[in-house]
Amino acid sequence: MTTVMIQEARARDTPGIFADMADAAATAPPSGESAEAALELLAEMSPDLRGAAILGPGGEVLAATGEERERWGEDAEALFAAADEAEGAPVEQVHIATEQGEVFAIRNAGLAAVSVTDRFALASLMLFDLRSALRQLAREAGA
Amino acid sequence: MPAKPHRILLDRVSVYADEAAAFMRRRRVSRRPFARLYYPHGRSADHAQDSRAGAELFVAAGRLIEVAGKKPKR
Repeated sequence: MTTVMIQEARARDTPGIFADMADAAATAPPSGESAEAALELLAEMSPDLRGAAILGPGGEVLAATGEERERWGEDAEALFAAADEAEGAPVEQVHIATEQGEVFAIRNAGLAAVSVTDRFALASLMLFDLRSALRQLAREAGA
Repeated sequence: MPAKPHRILLDRVSVYADEAAAFMRRRRVSRRPFARLYYPHGRSADHAQDSRAGAELFVAAGRLIEVAGKKPKR
């Protein structure tokens, strides 16, 4: 019964009660060690993952796979800028599927994460894992 | 003469495997590149590769794929 009510609210374009339940934003940026640990866990959970990075509130790279940390920051910033510009509103999640692989990006709790996977990775799982990692980091930073 | 029970089981398993393989094949063939953006309150928008916004998104995604490189060996 509750589900039906929420769907009706959505159809009426009513924000609904969940819209007000924002994730707690990180009061201070999480440490590089905890971001590295989150990235390692993410890589362990996602067999399709090729690489990923976690960005702080100012877009600084907290953790990244591989050697090119700075490039991760620049390219993620370019992706978010292109996505925000597409409809003139800040995006929450991005999913781009190409012939060469898939790119996921997400903003949550004042942090951001981007990941690159093989083709046909399960989008819902990847976005869920990224969101969970950011929430956990924000919780740790706020604690 | 009725089929042996293990035959029925094997047949059923192989039918499911065939179905799954066909599904994956169709998915590979039919799935084209796309760029999908998600906004607060569950709204989402697709951008075609030949649109201006879509082209920028694909260029940015291509750079990220390049920096990620190949999948690390586990």
